Amino acid sequence: MTSRRARAVSVGDSIPERELGPISQTDIVRFAGAGGDFNPLHHDAAFAEKAGFDTVIAMGQMQAGMLASWLTDWCGVEYLRELEVRFLAPVRLGALLRLTGAVTGWADLDGTPVAELELRASVGSADVVRGVARIAAVSANGRSAPSPDDGR
Amino acid sequence: MSLVVGDVVDEVAFTVEEGKVGEFARATAALDPVHSDSEAAATAGFTALAATPTHVVVSGHHRDQRAMVAHLGLALERVMVGGVRWRYHRPLVVGDRLRGTRRLVADEQVGGRSGRPPMRRLTLETAFVDAEGATAVEWQETVLERGR
Repeated sequence: MTSRRARAVSVGDSIPERELGPISQTDIVRFAGAGGDFNPLHHDAAFAEKAGFDTVIAMGQMQAGMLASWLTDWCGVEYLRELEVRFLAPVRLGALLRLTGAVTGWADLDGTPVAELELRASVGSADVVRGVARIAAVSANGRSAPSPDDGR
Repeated sequence: MSLVVGDVVDEVAFTVEEGKVGEFARATAALDPVHSDSEAAATAGFTALAATPTHVVVSGHHRDQRAMVAHLGLALERVMVGGVRWRYHRPLVVGDRLRGTRRLVADEQVGGRSGRPPMRRLTLETAFVDAEGATAVEWQETVLERGR
């Protein structure tokens, strides 16, 4: 597809961590402008208070997008096949986001082996986003089509 | 108007634009130069600057979220996004012309145990189809409405 190679990975490999933040109102407004999410919860403190928050919160798509971009900076955007994220807690102004992830196994996706990864974005000791990704990759142990038993 | 499962919620059509790819890359802290440098993208084998993985979120500019909230009968101040899922068939590049059709695929009541009000959980799916009619990206959103 491209001239870049798929990443060679083994179960247990970690993606180099990324720290982002502290998240500012400017970061949230920049994402709102980029993506077109003008829900007042993300820029209007009075509205956020009415919705039960002490401050505006980031849109989930912002932290999901940061997690996705961090992942594809590592594996190549052309090799991402699936990404699923769940939002566990709101990201408030001032949050320092820490992105971590590791290869947990291999799976089959439409007849092609894909590496599965578990990803998380955390603030302090609490996870705010958890994700699972599947990327086209090759096994670092030299086999091009790893056995589905790898990593079990 | 009130939407039921299976209905089309909205449709958008837009082109993947260079400036918007750059804005979205910066807003999501993407560092790979294939999103910002045409030469790097060409060297990597892309036909044009590559979009970041969640680029189709920019369809927010072409959607009427307030109308969607009204058509689904939701109270905006109680709405949260529970999760998202993406399926990729190919990477998007600048110049791609996309049409996205968003459908309501599930509408459920969940929770409601231990005296707490149940939540309404909606599942929305958008398939982004390119000019050749091939699906490039699929995006599923889970929207939660907290109970009163």
